Amino acid sequence: MVKRGPTAPAVEVDKASFSYNNIKAIDELSLQVPSGISFGLLGPNGAGKTTLIRLLVGLLKPKSGSVRILGKTPSRKTAHLIGYMPQLHSLYTELSVIQNVDFFARVYQLSDKHQRAQRVEEAIRLVDMWQRRKDSVLRLSGGMRQRVSLACAIVHNPPLLFLDEPTVGLDPELRVTFWEHFATLTKQGITLVISSHTMDDAAHCDRLAFMRDGKVIARGTPSELQQATGKPGATLEDAFLYFIHREDRSDS
Amino acid sequence: MIPSQAFTIATRIINQLIRDRRTMVLIVVVPLVVMTLIGLSFPEGTVLDYIAPALLATMALFFSFLLTGISFLRERSQGTMERLMASPVSRLDIVVGYLFGFFIFALLQTLIVVLFTIYALDVTYQGDLWQIFIFQIVIITAAVNLGIFISTFARNEFQMVQFIPLIIFPQIFLCGVIWPVEQMPNYLQWLSKILPLTYGVDGLRDIMLAGKSLLDVGFELAVLVGFAVVISIIAAFTLRRGAAG
Ligand SMILES: Nc1ncnc2c1ncn2[C@@H]1O[C@H](COP(=O)(O)OP(=O)(O)OP(=O)(O)O)[C@@H](O)[C@H]1O
Ligand SMILES: [Mg+2]
Repeated sequence: MVKRGPTAPAVEVDKASFSYNNIKAIDELSLQVPSGISFGLLGPNGAGKTTLIRLLVGLLKPKSGSVRILGKTPSRKTAHLIGYMPQLHSLYTELSVIQNVDFFARVYQLSDKHQRAQRVEEAIRLVDMWQRRKDSVLRLSGGMRQRVSLACAIVHNPPLLFLDEPTVGLDPELRVTFWEHFATLTKQGITLVISSHTMDDAAHCDRLAFMRDGKVIARGTPSELQQATGKPGATLEDAFLYFIHREDRSDS
Repeated sequence: MIPSQAFTIATRIINQLIRDRRTMVLIVVVPLVVMTLIGLSFPEGTVLDYIAPALLATMALFFSFLLTGISFLRERSQGTMERLMASPVSRLDIVVGYLFGFFIFALLQTLIVVLFTIYALDVTYQGDLWQIFIFQIVIITAAVNLGIFISTFARNEFQMVQFIPLIIFPQIFLCGVIWPVEQMPNYLQWLSKILPLTYGVDGLRDIMLAGKSLLDVGFELAVLVGFAVVISIIAAFTLRRGAAG
């Protein structure tokens, strides 16, 4: 086995393409995500963010090109190394909060009972749902379901996390809490890949990729992307629009 | 290869159903209502005695198939299948987990329906009660697997609803529930040989009407078990990692 240095990228995508029937969702996309950072995938609806994440977690296979996570092709053998929070809430609505989180803890083979109970409690407390742990998911608000969904994704402490729009529907206070927690995770060496539409989220990421039509149109740190516009005081929003317009100009 | 996580999945299914009180009540009440109505529609007890084993086999197949099929489909539509497919559980874990989980409820249902038919509807029977139950268990196993298999094809609820009559009606009319298979044209008899309910009806009639033992209906049992095994393996294959959407 080849030893992976600490600087080896957590995610490597090399000219990967994927289409659903005739819709080209990912178009010869290449991308590298270094370990231990938060990486933001930004882009409009239909840009291919979810499809890219589904390729990375192994739910889809690229039609051409390659995808590697932690040096390996995504498969069931790498599944325990990743946490995945789908864009849909993806919870068992009849079950309580704690039953949902505990189920996924078991699925991810936390077999020691005490350890599992502890992890489940930590995960639920983190998303501030401990008071409501016995409630059925059916009785929770949209934002609360979003929080439980995150708890299910992180309960097994994976080194690599894929979060598909984790901050949608959260109130501002909780959004801050989430980002504080994401920062603690990256300090522990955990890699986060987070998709989002909001520039508020983007500003929190260590690095960003702007996506459109299945391609990465720009990448860099938030400040690099702001500076690339050439305008002092440009916001990330300005930067995003700048790159989109630049693409449009080069297309025509 | 050992489906070690099947137990986790089965426990979850049991928890889900137990928390859904209304479904729990319906699982028990609906078959009893159906059985009573059918029972009352027969003026003569002897006709009911003849048809009862076939009805028991049909109900076991029908309800287990539906319950499993629909809830497997919900796993997909609510997005949890996406999570499971990205997790370390294997396809076999999922199929076997479903089998165990629903088996418990199907078994409970069958126990109640058989006892109700015999004691409340006063159907006379030969053979041992425990052998009747064992035979029903085998039918349930086949039906649960059939439910999983069909729902790996159906992409949504509408498609699933189309499959229900396709699975149910031919079996009711071609498998000897109402009239004997031997009276049908040759090609239909041939078709009936590949439908599992034929063996369920045959076996259960042999036990309940002729007082035969499980050993005597060994062939029917073997076919049903074989059907369950083959269909669950195919189900595990159709449930591809890439097919979670
Ligand atoms: N299951 C599917 N079947 C067919 N086409 C799909 C499917 N899922 C996505 N697509 C198409 O693939 C393209 C990329 O979609 P994707 O969901 O990856 O975008 P996204 O960036 O996640 O968008 P959003 O911000 O709305 O979540 C879109 O054109 C979409 O219509
Ligand atoms: Mg998306």
